[in-house]
Amino acid sequence: MGGYFQNIKDGFQSVFEGMSVTLASMFVRPVTVQYPEVDISTNETISRNYKSTLMGMPPNYRGILNVDLNLCTACGLCQKACPIECIVIDNVKCDKTGLTDKDGVAVKNRFTQKEALKTRASTRFDINMGKCMFCGLCVIACPTTAIKHTNKFEFNQSSLEELVLRFVSDEERSKAEARANEIDEEAARKKAEKAKKEEKAKEGEVE
Amino acid sequence: MESLLLGLGLSVLSAKVLNAIIIGVIILLVFVTIGGILTWVERRVSGFIQSRLGPNRVGPQGVLQWVADGVKLIFKEDLIPDGSDRILFRIAPYFCLIGVFCTLVVMPWGTGVIVADLNVGLFYFISITSLVVIGVLMAGWSSNNKWSLLGGMRAAAQIVSYEIPVGMGLLVPILIAGTLSMQGIVGAQGWLPWDWMLFKSPFTVISFIIFFIGSLAEANRIPFDLPEAESELVSGYCTEYSGFRYAVFFLSEWANLFVMGGLTTVVYLGGGNLPGIVADNAILSVVVFGIKTSVVVFVVMWIRWTLPRFRIDQLMKLSWKYLLPGAFLAFFGQAIYMLLTWEYQKVQYAVAVVVFVLFLGVLLKFIKRVAVNIKEQKLPVNSPNAPLA
Repeated sequence: MGGYFQNIKDGFQSVFEGMSVTLASMFVRPVTVQYPEVDISTNETISRNYKSTLMGMPPNYRGILNVDLNLCTACGLCQKACPIECIVIDNVKCDKTGLTDKDGVAVKNRFTQKEALKTRASTRFDINMGKCMFCGLCVIACPTTAIKHTNKFEFNQSSLEELVLRFVSDEERSKAEARANEIDEEAARKKAEKAKKEEKAKEGEVE
Repeated sequence: MESLLLGLGLSVLSAKVLNAIIIGVIILLVFVTIGGILTWVERRVSGFIQSRLGPNRVGPQGVLQWVADGVKLIFKEDLIPDGSDRILFRIAPYFCLIGVFCTLVVMPWGTGVIVADLNVGLFYFISITSLVVIGVLMAGWSSNNKWSLLGGMRAAAQIVSYEIPVGMGLLVPILIAGTLSMQGIVGAQGWLPWDWMLFKSPFTVISFIIFFIGSLAEANRIPFDLPEAESELVSGYCTEYSGFRYAVFFLSEWANLFVMGGLTTVVYLGGGNLPGIVADNAILSVVVFGIKTSVVVFVVMWIRWTLPRFRIDQLMKLSWKYLLPGAFLAFFGQAIYMLLTWEYQKVQYAVAVVVFVLFLGVLLKFIKRVAVNIKEQKLPVNSPNAPLA
């Protein structure tokens, strides 16, 4: 019999408490982030407007890959590291140059700590984002941090072919190939000159 | 309206019939719209209670969401399950609809604003809402689906067993007002809160609580929505309905919500009564009625998103073992109280004021509790200032 009235009392108390909790949540700002209209690529907009532990995209998010060709030595290490073989690199000879980043500081090879030298130029640097699994092994392998993940994840295209990112444009490719041909010709010419000189020297010796 | 039609030169009979048809159509259209808007209100309110935004894309703040839903439902394929009882399947939704919309005939929207002031208005109201049981049973049976049948049976058991607390809960105001007519019950109340039926004595408070819980069960609202709970029986008795037929069930449920809110306002909250200075203003009266009904509807929605669902045996136990004895207690208590204080009107008035003040005390405690909860909820999760467990 005591349980009967205790039940009634418990019923009223629990409904009272429950309803106060739900009414309280009506006065707290909703945590919905209306995504395309709110900029979520950094923490800035979100932490300003939403006073809770909501964050934007983290800075080390593994998004679409980007290659900075000014830092790339066309070494092909990322191609070898990729488990899916979605990176394809073709390279030709080029002039030996040092690399500088955008502040003008010389770039060092991350693993050997020596100055990074560019001896090959890439004529083709294609990454098939349709196959890429965003594991980040290519980023780890690159000695000059030329290939990196960006923050970007919105990348739908209208066809599968458009998912392949081609980082070397046609003009750059023809320029590199032309320069490579020039280098080859020069090397061949030098070799021919050297051979001629040697022959002359040999003739002179015999005489 | 009738005089206007007579003036056009129609015979008395056709004027009456045309009058009835026009008023019926107007009320039906207004209430379909209100039913639709209530779905939008529910979705926004439930969103805010759950710390999220509700639908806010279709139209400014999402107000046209119910139009989009209606259009979608009209375009859906009209399936009638194989092996179902075709006639019953087709007419079941309309029984639910009739059960709800015919109650609008006796609803006093304000003092003097009523379609037909029957002198058995309240009795008519309760009887007509019983048509919903027939509709639900027909829907469950004719779907040729075990679980729909189960849902229909449960719904019928629930509605029928909660009609008794609702009826007993309505007996107490009838005792006080001395009439079954809806206008009469409104007239027996005043505009001040302690003149409402709700606060007239502790027994009316008890009967209000019982009536309110009972009407939640009548309208199949959580915590009593076992017949149509998604996790229990997909959609219960309306599983096999699609397209427009489902829209009719859906609509009758939301209109039922409004109708129950309206009944609560009229019988317990002094619906539409105005202070003496503006007592004859019909529009203001309708507005006051609308505001009170909206508050009741909001409380019903609020309860929906607070409480978990009852099991069928808990539901039955609540009705027969708790609400019914409480209703008897309230009825006899009120009768004896009225007998004892028959000559002393002042004592009744004083008791009403005391009950109202006690209610204000409880409300104040509630608001304090809400403030504490707001502070707790504004703390970010995992912050060092959040209270431990």
